Amino acid sequence: MSRNYLDLLAYFGIGGAHPGGFPLTQLLLQDEIIHPCSSVLDIGCGTGQTAAFLNQKYGCQVTAVDNHPIMLEKARERFKNQESTVQVIEGDAQKLHFKDNSFDFIIAESVITFTTISKTLNELFRLLKKDGRMILIEMTAEEPLSRKVQKKVHTLYGIHEVLSEEEWKMKLQQIGFTHIDMITPSSELIQTEITDMNPSKNLSDEWYDLWDNHHSFIHQSTVPLGFRVFRCGFK
Amino acid sequence: MPYSNMYNLCCKYQGKMVRITGRDGSVHVGEITRVNKDYVWLRPRNLGGYGYGFFGGYGRGSGIPFALGFITGVVLATAFFW
Repeated sequence: MSRNYLDLLAYFGIGGAHPGGFPLTQLLLQDEIIHPCSSVLDIGCGTGQTAAFLNQKYGCQVTAVDNHPIMLEKARERFKNQESTVQVIEGDAQKLHFKDNSFDFIIAESVITFTTISKTLNELFRLLKKDGRMILIEMTAEEPLSRKVQKKVHTLYGIHEVLSEEEWKMKLQQIGFTHIDMITPSSELIQTEITDMNPSKNLSDEWYDLWDNHHSFIHQSTVPLGFRVFRCGFK
Repeated sequence: MPYSNMYNLCCKYQGKMVRITGRDGSVHVGEITRVNKDYVWLRPRNLGGYGYGFFGGYGRGSGIPFALGFITGVVLATAFFW
């Protein structure tokens, strides 16, 4: 599996690296009821911008998990500087060492697509309390992808499978979520301002080339990729 | 980043809105208006008010110069990521 794209995000240390960026995160969280006693999981936390925000805004216990060493390093650096109480854990979203029903709220911002989707969804389902809810922002195929596009998505992002909106809903239902709402602010691939960045020193040209490569790929009119936001729970 | 790469990068992003990080950790957002072997000129996004140009006497032309050696990173100011 090519990990290059995620390496790119890690080396540049870009916060809010998901569709809609940090403004979408804030928009989605503003309607959520989260208490200081809530336990929250930010799966695929990256450099920890969302986890820090959750911890600061709600005073809740946040667990931030990622599998990328550089992301984790930068997340820890952020939390140390902010004196936050976020717990940072290295882990694989597909197999996590938490007990069943551990979390009141789970957020995954463009993470599940980069894993084996069913495995990760099953794992997150296991960890979510039965009165909890989960928010996902994930890449979605607007139309069936040609073999050529599938191949490119795989080589560029290391992604094996891009689900359609219906496939996402079906998977979430099959796994056991009984309430699935789709929140659609806009599924266009709108650029957001980079406001949070912690680049590593001595970034070589290849990372800039990869950035260009990604940029030109998503702006091809023949690439029917978008994203969806799902809010899932049991009531 | 090697010095020549920084020059090339600034040339590549000429005319674009970028985010420059300096050796002192400072961040500068603006449009690259000029590049030479020693400097890159950045026209800050918010001219007037707190804009550099307003106080610094560089006027509304090319903006303000940053020594290439001072810069540790240049990236586009906006982007889309998965």
